[in-house]
Amino acid sequence: MGNRLLVVAGLTIVFMLGALYGFQRRGGRSPFSEDDSRLLTPSDAGEKTEWAFARLRYPSSRGSGRGGYWGFRSSWATDYPKADRQFVQGVRRLTRLHTRSVEQVVDLESDEIFNWPWIYAVEVGQWGLTDAQCKKLREYLLRGGFLMVDDFHGTREWSVFMVSMSRVFPDRPVVEMENSDAIFHVLYDLDQRFQVPGIGPLSGGTTYEQDGVEPRWRGIYDDKGRIMVAICHNMDVGDAWEWADHPRYPERYASLAYRIGVNYIIYSMTH
Amino acid sequence: MFEFLFKYPPVVFAKGRWVLLGTLPVWVLGASAAVLAGVCGYLLWRRRGGRLGFRSAAIGALQSALLALLLLLLWQPAISVSSLKTQQNVVAVVVDDSRSMAVADGGRSRRDQALELLESRAFQDLGSRFQVRLYRLGARAERLESPSKLTAALPATHLAEGLKQVAAEAATLPIGALVLLSDGSDNAGGIDAEATAELRRSRIPIHTVGFGRERPQRDVELLDVEIPARSLADSRLPAQISFQQFGLAGKQAKLVVRESGKALAQETVTLKPDGVVETRQIIFNAGIAGAKNVQVTIEPIEGEESARNNSLTRVVNVEAAKPRILYIEGEPKWEFKFIRRAVEEDRSLALATLLRTTQNKLYRQGTANAKELEDGFPAKAGELFGFQGVILGGVEASYFTAAQQELIKQFVDRRGGGVLFLGGRTGLAEGGYANSVLADLLPVTLPAKKLTFFRDPATAELTPAGRESIICRLEENLDRNVERWKKLPYLADYQESGTPKPGAVVLADGVVRGKGRFPLLSIQNYGAGRTALVATAGTWRWQMQQPLEDKTHEMFWQQLLRWLVADTRGRVAATTPRLMLYDEGRIPIHAKVKDANYLPAADATVEAHILGPEGVSAAVKLEPDPLEAGDYSAQWSADKPGSYVVEVVAKRGSDEAGRDVFTFRREDGLAEDFHTSQNRELLARLAGETGGRYYKPEEFERLAREISYSEAGISVRETKELWNMPAAFLLILMLRGGEWLLRRKWGVV
Repeated sequence: MGNRLLVVAGLTIVFMLGALYGFQRRGGRSPFSEDDSRLLTPSDAGEKTEWAFARLRYPSSRGSGRGGYWGFRSSWATDYPKADRQFVQGVRRLTRLHTRSVEQVVDLESDEIFNWPWIYAVEVGQWGLTDAQCKKLREYLLRGGFLMVDDFHGTREWSVFMVSMSRVFPDRPVVEMENSDAIFHVLYDLDQRFQVPGIGPLSGGTTYEQDGVEPRWRGIYDDKGRIMVAICHNMDVGDAWEWADHPRYPERYASLAYRIGVNYIIYSMTH
Repeated sequence: MFEFLFKYPPVVFAKGRWVLLGTLPVWVLGASAAVLAGVCGYLLWRRRGGRLGFRSAAIGALQSALLALLLLLLWQPAISVSSLKTQQNVVAVVVDDSRSMAVADGGRSRRDQALELLESRAFQDLGSRFQVRLYRLGARAERLESPSKLTAALPATHLAEGLKQVAAEAATLPIGALVLLSDGSDNAGGIDAEATAELRRSRIPIHTVGFGRERPQRDVELLDVEIPARSLADSRLPAQISFQQFGLAGKQAKLVVRESGKALAQETVTLKPDGVVETRQIIFNAGIAGAKNVQVTIEPIEGEESARNNSLTRVVNVEAAKPRILYIEGEPKWEFKFIRRAVEEDRSLALATLLRTTQNKLYRQGTANAKELEDGFPAKAGELFGFQGVILGGVEASYFTAAQQELIKQFVDRRGGGVLFLGGRTGLAEGGYANSVLADLLPVTLPAKKLTFFRDPATAELTPAGRESIICRLEENLDRNVERWKKLPYLADYQESGTPKPGAVVLADGVVRGKGRFPLLSIQNYGAGRTALVATAGTWRWQMQQPLEDKTHEMFWQQLLRWLVADTRGRVAATTPRLMLYDEGRIPIHAKVKDANYLPAADATVEAHILGPEGVSAAVKLEPDPLEAGDYSAQWSADKPGSYVVEVVAKRGSDEAGRDVFTFRREDGLAEDFHTSQNRELLARLAGETGGRYYKPEEFERLAREISYSEAGISVRETKELWNMPAAFLLILMLRGGEWLLRRKWGVV
């Protein structure tokens, strides 16, 4: 009986610490209610389109147990699905791209990912790809796929991101994308870029998280000079999409986030 | 035997005219025969008591025939035939003295066999009756004093040319007949109808004596090699190789394509039965720009009679040009990206693209400068005609103004460009093309409905034409290529494209499970250019769903787009009808010159600069054709064997209108190594069409006798009586004997 009590007490403490960590990490978001699960499925969700917002589901240290792959609120699902659906409304309105109203979740377990040449991965500062997944992601990108990563901050999360990415491309450097790069001009001219904050830090009066003060626009290029991986470090574009409809989220951030997203999509479909 | 029975040789009957020498008219003969037949019938009828059965009829028929024959003989049948007067006519004997006559058939060369005839008693007899003029025949005919000067070493045979030359000499000589001693091997490709008609007009019968075996015992021979004369650098080119063998059926032979001694491609084949013409296609890479001599060889097989007929050379002008294609796409799509990537890997193609990213924005890529296509799709000929090809992606027909639509049509029709239509949500029938001017350009008749585009899987399946097409060739081997197409990932979408137009070629069908098939890839020629249709925007899955090393997607698009623009010529298009000259150097040079709007330019100054072997260099002015504006031509003679490069430059005033290059090659002595078997068909046809006869060498004696019967030269018409020919008496005996036998068998009838 005593042992059982000890186990229950231990689990309770672990759960409470975890909840506290999660709350702190998101900076406390009391002004905003994030309950994406209540989103209704649009009536045209089954429409077959040229493009859909493909969200990468990956194993991470956050979530349920080892790898946290399928867990509720695992890191891959951050902002999901509201950010995805809200963003594609903008894509529909701002471009001629035939776009599906709902997102597509893909992973690196099957070849289904090859049907979605543009994918988005969020909070990659917590991902942990297996060797097989690294290999598949490498093949995907070299065949012509495009990966946009977002919402990871500071030195520590960069290190975690690079643990997997350096296994995907051991031979390719991550470089700062120049202002003149086509990705910043393909539809909108984005010479004047600034840090797009997540909802958490914004509530605390800042635009950065951890030690990620400076926004970084980085990329990994192929042999022909085309971007395969567009890295949004020290910013939270996904949060801007998600909260673009909220009166207290500044329009300038949401607007830039939409233009970044649209440019990245059009770039991936033209280069 | 014929002559014993009929008194005269067959040629008399073949050339003579039948006559009756009797003084009474022919109708009296007919009437008499009829009366006698009636009398015979009546007598038999009376004898049989008013009945006339089958036996009586047979006896009556024999009796009537006998009486009719006797009547005919009484009318003195004869044959009237022209024959040459002895000692007053010339007989021209033309001996083929080309290298093929040195071939030894059955131990002795053809020349030796011909010499034997010329020294024979029959020939001497001919000489005693006629004046014989001896000629040797090579590329031309020339008089020969003695048969011993025949060498069988001339590098070429031009039968028609030589015979026409002899016939022309006959205009001043009483030539009664012409005798040709030859194996029928001709380097000019035979004797065409025009040459035959010209020989027939001279009214000289040409008798031919054929030498050599009519088929080899053990030999494989290349019959022809077809390779496109022009190509872009790095293109995959098809060599269409025809060959034939005798005595080597079932053996393995290796076909090799070489350039400058380096093997570019090869294939091993199993030889088919004797005499069967086999055609194989070998794909090879054209390589870098330059004038290429491509040699196709069948590696010699052990025991083969001649290896000299195992190789053929063709010239290919690999151009350094980089044709430009303008691709306009109506909306962002994956196909756009992956087509761009495929072309980026092709050093010989350049792609400029316009993408409608938003309703009012076009994203330009691959433009020559910041200004090009600044105002969107070209509205002026000068701008659009600067491209060699156009791709119309999923963009509505109504996006183009009426003038732009007409311009696109003229781009194909007049400029000679290529236009490719792609499927898409707003393309083809969905895009309103069926009711636009551009519908004429499509290789299909679009369905008269909307809702033709589906984002559902479809597979591509090659048609028989697609299997042969270089556009669809992913593997060099035909069978492996078909298999590879079957294994391709499905297309992401498809568009029902209607029915192919007459003249269009469907290279691949799209197959949709449960819905049937539709033309997926179709091509056609239109005006001076060509158009194609790819009824999908989903080939990008071939790239994303196959391993990185797989080049299916790149190869398909590169080959299709190269086809689209490879034959799009500039403002100056220079040509010659024959790129390979054998033993002669005359070469016509033609050029078509256009102005900036690709309308014929009749006011140009056109000059050809020719570079050849051993430092040959020449400049030839091309003269305008008075009947065809913009056409210019000249004749030149390439005197030395080897490869030549011709650059034609056109100027209008001081401005250069353009330039074009082609290559050709002269080969001497090579043609004699091919088709060395006796061409009996040609010799017999030549003799038959000029009133002569074909003879075998052992029949020469007969020729010497029969040659007299000719209407050429100085001839007299003779009447040869036939009433006393043994065949007539034999027939009388047979009729009478037949009656006797029947009466014996049937008793008294």
